[in-house]
Amino acid sequence: MKRQKRFEVLEKRPVHEDGFVDEWPEEGFVAMDGPIDPKPSVKIENGEIVELDGKKKEDFDLIDSFIAKHSINLDTTEKVLAMDSQKIANMLCDPNVTRDKIIPITTGFTPAKAAEVICQLNFVEMMMATQKMRPRKTPATQGHVTNIRDNPVLIAADAADAALRGFPEQETTTAVARYAPLNAISIMVGAQTGRPGVLTQCSVEEAEELSLGMRGFTAYAETISVYGTEQVFTDGDDTPWSKGFLASCYASRGLKMRFTSGSGSEVMMGYAEGKSMLYLEARCIFITKGCGVQGLQNGAVSCIGIPGAVPSGLREVLGENLLCMAMDIECASGNDQSFSHSDIRRTERMVGQFISGTDYISSGYSTVPNYDNTFAGSNFDATDYDDYYAMQRDLKVNGGLVPVKEADIIKIRNKAAKALQAVFKSLDLPEITDEEVEAATYAFSSKDMPERNMVEDMKAAQDLMDRGVTGVDVIKGLYNGGFTDVAQAVLSLLQQRIAGDFLQTSSIFDKDWNVISAVNNTNDYNGPGTGYHIDDDLWKKIIDIPMAINPTDV
Amino acid sequence: MTEINDLISKIVNNVQDESNNQSSSNTTTATASSTSTSSDSNKTMTRDDYPLFQKHPDMVNAPTGKNVKEVTLEAAINGDVEAEDLRISPQTLKAQGEIAASAGRPSIQSNFDRAAELTKVPDERVLEMYGSLRPYRSSEQELLDMADELENKYGAKICADFVREAAVEYKKRKKLKGDN
Repeated sequence: MKRQKRFEVLEKRPVHEDGFVDEWPEEGFVAMDGPIDPKPSVKIENGEIVELDGKKKEDFDLIDSFIAKHSINLDTTEKVLAMDSQKIANMLCDPNVTRDKIIPITTGFTPAKAAEVICQLNFVEMMMATQKMRPRKTPATQGHVTNIRDNPVLIAADAADAALRGFPEQETTTAVARYAPLNAISIMVGAQTGRPGVLTQCSVEEAEELSLGMRGFTAYAETISVYGTEQVFTDGDDTPWSKGFLASCYASRGLKMRFTSGSGSEVMMGYAEGKSMLYLEARCIFITKGCGVQGLQNGAVSCIGIPGAVPSGLREVLGENLLCMAMDIECASGNDQSFSHSDIRRTERMVGQFISGTDYISSGYSTVPNYDNTFAGSNFDATDYDDYYAMQRDLKVNGGLVPVKEADIIKIRNKAAKALQAVFKSLDLPEITDEEVEAATYAFSSKDMPERNMVEDMKAAQDLMDRGVTGVDVIKGLYNGGFTDVAQAVLSLLQQRIAGDFLQTSSIFDKDWNVISAVNNTNDYNGPGTGYHIDDDLWKKIIDIPMAINPTDV
Repeated sequence: MTEINDLISKIVNNVQDESNNQSSSNTTTATASSTSTSSDSNKTMTRDDYPLFQKHPDMVNAPTGKNVKEVTLEAAINGDVEAEDLRISPQTLKAQGEIAASAGRPSIQSNFDRAAELTKVPDERVLEMYGSLRPYRSSEQELLDMADELENKYGAKICADFVREAAVEYKKRKKLKGDN
């Protein structure tokens, strides 16, 4: 065929490098409303659910059993299931119906009913519902702080940088697993230098992650994965009961935690049982509810390529975020994985969560260049900051970040690197040189950092664990190094565990350690003029972008 | 996104040998987990008592008895703050559970009730217990023994019932040691 020239040009556009696939329901390649998705039903006998979404008790798998026992309000579920799904959907997006009128309904859902209600909504209706159903009135976002060489000095400087930009939660992980304790300490010291009150975590294997928290190196955890089919859950080496027990372990040590799930994981791991992504994700949300876990990271997360490839996939992704929040669970709403070669689609991916506002719009905005992101890259990275600031300013949206001055960033990065230098010295860890401090202060990426002896670092990390070093030792190191304010901030972080206020739904801290959560900052949206508003101070910060010119200067 | 194409071709290749699927076995009844009673300290907390740190600092004590206000930088530098002084107490978890329930989140209260019990289990042991609940790690008897340990050694009745419930389900769905 003789080629039409415009088609030839279009084929060279980045979007052509993305993956798209037709629906294939048998293998789970269907976003929502799958042809064999169960129909909602519930039957209660002697105070026990004996039928759930068309399945009899004797046929329940582990997930059905767990949900039937722990996740559904038995007093209301029969009434709720008798309600018209379209009517419930209407209430969800109606500004006149407040959040507190909806929670008693959603907590009586079954997974199939929940999915059926979400399927009634178009994308704009989902956004309307999201701005109302987000548990915490004030939106926020979360950042990834990593580098491919696990350079601790750079992690500290980047964490301080990110804290100054407004991330109230920061997450690191490792390129090499044995670095975990060093990365956890580095992000904590850096973040507390940048802005006291930031919560930090280090994502590693479940048991090790808890152990880091017990020592006082981390404040929360979120990589506690749950899945929508029994086979995939088992392949993930857990059950709803082991994860429920783990959740209580975290709370017992005063540590905040949320689960992680997300559509596409069951397809990716090969056992979607022919069900739609939304239905399977609904099961994950119900498991989270049943475990009594305050929050969930969802919205396809690292499997975004799967829903992103099927029709109505990104609508489904916002739908699963919405369902999480509508079930009164804190939502860290994805946008945390490289998604598209097309900048237009990257923005499309985020726009629903960004404009509506979620508890954490991104569950990992890459605060470093994606080259250094050891979570395999995020949807937005450090080179996108100015675009993000412009979008907040254009739309008058609080996306959770504020513009910063270059001189302030240089200062805070330098301070964090020096604070970590003092901690390393005090804990007898391999030296951080002045040259490294200088490099981390001005670095774009880990390519700008001098080589460290990684073998020595890893040995030291193991030794640190063997010696039983704790957060209190980090505080002493900071204090002895002259970083009294950072020492106080780390102490305040550990002190919060005793009180446990930040175990409540959607908790973050401001710079003065005031907790802001769904309990004392409840979303009360009830139409125009109500709910969350950007206050004057914040608005002044948001509009003050470096690119803006003052007309009087022209 | 060549991963999508790789994934699809992988599924196509595997689609024929995907006929072996799970079967369900006979049912046994499971114990329902009980919910909490109110805390032993005087009044039930509500969302108006939140945050506890600001509104009730006097009642926020570590399990060692050290009050949260005694955990100062000075004390930490002088060696007067042990790791044990930086832990949450069962009483505080109970109070936070009451606050969660008062804010309309009873399932969070159930979690905090289990957590309150687990404050008494040492770090090493609690990590082992989590490991034992993972699939294919424990026999039915081992799970039941662990439940007894929770109940008798640590007074963790709610957690014990949670583990007993797991034992029943694992047996039914073949997640016990040797089932894989």
